[in-house]
Amino acid sequence: MKRILQWLLIGLALAWSLAPVYWMVVTSFKDALEATRPVPTFLPEAPTLANYQGLAGGSLPFLSFFVNTTLSCLATAALAMLIATPAAYALSRGRFRLRGPISQGILVFRMLPLVVMLAPLYLMLLAAGLLDSLAGLVVGFTTFGLPFAVWMMKGFIDTVPIEIEEAARVDGYKKWEILVRVVVPLVLPGLLTTATFVFMESWNNLIFPLSLITTLAKQTLPAAIQLSFTGQFKTDWGGMMAASTVTTLPLMVAFFAVQRSMVRGLTGGAVAGA
Amino acid sequence: MPALGVLALVVGYPVLYTAYLSTQRMNLLDTDPSRYIGTRNYVRLFGDPVFWSSLENTAIYTFGSVIVAALFGLSLALLTENLLGWRFRSIRALLLVPWAVPFVVVAFLFRFMFLQDGGVINAVLLRLGAISSPVLWLNDANLALPSTMLTNIWTMTPFFFLLLSAALSSIPIEVIESARIDRAPTWSMVFHIKLPFLRNELLISGLLMVISNVNDFAKIWAMTEGGPGYATTTLVVYVYRLAFGDFNFGYASAIGVVWLVLLLVFASLYLRAIRTA
Repeated sequence: MKRILQWLLIGLALAWSLAPVYWMVVTSFKDALEATRPVPTFLPEAPTLANYQGLAGGSLPFLSFFVNTTLSCLATAALAMLIATPAAYALSRGRFRLRGPISQGILVFRMLPLVVMLAPLYLMLLAAGLLDSLAGLVVGFTTFGLPFAVWMMKGFIDTVPIEIEEAARVDGYKKWEILVRVVVPLVLPGLLTTATFVFMESWNNLIFPLSLITTLAKQTLPAAIQLSFTGQFKTDWGGMMAASTVTTLPLMVAFFAVQRSMVRGLTGGAVAGA
Repeated sequence: MPALGVLALVVGYPVLYTAYLSTQRMNLLDTDPSRYIGTRNYVRLFGDPVFWSSLENTAIYTFGSVIVAALFGLSLALLTENLLGWRFRSIRALLLVPWAVPFVVVAFLFRFMFLQDGGVINAVLLRLGAISSPVLWLNDANLALPSTMLTNIWTMTPFFFLLLSAALSSIPIEVIESARIDRAPTWSMVFHIKLPFLRNELLISGLLMVISNVNDFAKIWAMTEGGPGYATTTLVVYVYRLAFGDFNFGYASAIGVVWLVLLLVFASLYLRAIRTA
């Protein structure tokens, strides 16, 4: 009896989690009329690829949106890790006076209202001539993702036994050599998890591309979806769901690749750093 | 050390610059340069009803969705706790799917499902007889905020589920065993033994989600753009409208500063609560 109830509830939970995603994918294979029929069909009556073909050959350059998003998010992840790894290492191993306050401060930095950064960022990029460019967007994404990346990386680096580093020091390694040759290989899974997290956050970000990019061809996928809703997809929910499915796939792949070490990354910093 | 310098610059500069902007009369659409006006932006803020309703909406949206999502996540974690091996792994993977859907997509997907005519939610509810005529959902001033919150809960539940189910599995087996020998009933096992172990995980993951929800722009903007009226206008949406609709950077920055102060107060109280635990 108890088991039946348990599986019933699990079934309900699965339906709650998966039904919307199922609906998105199914709708993307329906034609425009069938997509919003008053009595919805749970499988497409006449499955069609027209919505996906419409993305590739429509009036909007979806391929460049896809490339823009992928490039800027990958660049952000790489740049953020390049800065965050040594910073986290310094916070984890350094013995300087401000170490404690900085470690805790990072969590507080994370609370910065996005918009507090947006106005100065906009004016800064305007002055640097980087407004409306992917480089400027990468700067924006990195600003936002960096503090948390440091926090996650510190959690991972804290778990590396200090004895290993001392052995390396005895062998005559310089400080940066210890970081690059000893610590980084040991925390590689953590580094990849953190990078993926930054990647996902940038992919999710809508406010930065909307306000920092003005040329449509340079937009990212999420912003393009938002902008095209008033245009190309106004009533075309099939096309909208096809664009959504395409936007979801890369994130889904990235997420499930690192899902296992995600837990440690998200709580590790808090447990070890508090 | 240099890396920490970069970090300080990246984070510190915008804060100071925002504080500076908040004392200026600055509008990018004006031809005259910005000038110092002292605290006038802050005075305006106190008499601005939209600011106060945004603050209220932010609080309801954030705490409402975080609390419900945490309860859902906790229930799912307890529900799947005794499963093992591939069964657990595959169910966990399926339950995590919503986390991997980009926010903008979630927003439009739910917007589509919430449609008055042709939306699947109305269609199903009509069929079941739960409602007699289509509901407006996102276009109803009273239902818009709860509808966006429901959407938000859907994306957030997997986060709590994953963290809490990891925490559950790290409870020492002896603790559970000794309680079982004492024939503790299921509910008392959950409330007296498991929940105290999850306390810190719950508090920390709750804090992380509160922070990211206060900043949530994508979901609300893509679903309602803050409407109808100001029904779903949160602080982020309001500041975005001020800064990039009216280009009134001075006033927008003043709100940003007040908001930052409120968050800092909240976070320090919260972190203190964690530490005394």
